[in-house]
Amino acid sequence: MPIAPDVYKKIVTAKLYIDGNFPEAIDLDRLSREACLSRYHFHRLFTRIYQLTPHQYLTRKRIEQARKCLAGNDLTITEICNEVGFESIGSFSTLFKKESGHAPTDYRLRAWQKHQQTRQQPLRFIPYCFIENCMVDTACTNANVCPSD
Amino acid sequence: MITKVSHITFFVLDQDKAYDFYVNKLGFAVNTDAKMENGFRWLTITPPDQPDLEIALITPHTGGMGYDEETKNAFRVLLEKGALGAGVLHTPDCRATYEELKAKGVGFKGEPKEQFYGTEAILYDGLGNWFSMTQPKQP
Repeated sequence: MPIAPDVYKKIVTAKLYIDGNFPEAIDLDRLSREACLSRYHFHRLFTRIYQLTPHQYLTRKRIEQARKCLAGNDLTITEICNEVGFESIGSFSTLFKKESGHAPTDYRLRAWQKHQQTRQQPLRFIPYCFIENCMVDTACTNANVCPSD
Repeated sequence: MITKVSHITFFVLDQDKAYDFYVNKLGFAVNTDAKMENGFRWLTITPPDQPDLEIALITPHTGGMGYDEETKNAFRVLLEKGALGAGVLHTPDCRATYEELKAKGVGFKGEPKEQFYGTEAILYDGLGNWFSMTQPKQP
């Protein structure tokens, strides 16, 4: 059964609410109020549209922000945990590792190392064809094979 | 044997605006953002569910790529016309993503339409590129 356009707008309103307020405590009551739908219908429709429950999406959003913080600032892991909306460092670390494949400290170390390398040796990250002259070799194009073949 | 595409290019008119559009509005992740001594900026992004596909956001009409002036001007003209590049962006729900991106100020050529291959809306990045945003039809 198709979803009516005005219902789409309601679900998107709640999704954007999560995007803008994920560090706060957000529950299903709050989100269903934002969407002007019952808890049951909101949960069912949100999950159908995004293929994630509202809670799963909220967690993913918090982890995504934690990744940015770990890579981009020097707050402690506990401070980042609190800043993105998790209440327990234990559940944050477990969920972070599950989503990213690395513990928060490992993730930060890798991100900082890469950041340092991109500053010191940017050429290590750029395929040759992007930095050398990319003009087409006419001989190759015309013959459809390179002269050396 | 070639198995995958690892890097592709989106030519854009402005990298700062492209960063804002693709990262802040569409939700792509930044992979690498490095500036060379000659001013060339290597800015690559990855789609949310494709972390191993790097999309290089390149401004071909500025320095660093080794293009001559004639080629740079040709790129600029084509980008300004929106005549370069086309691609398909996948979404699990076209109508929801359409509503969300519209709320963020993204430009579309009309509302989503049913096509034989799925539900599609055409969006413009404001930097020279039109994309089909498609929710594939379920088999």
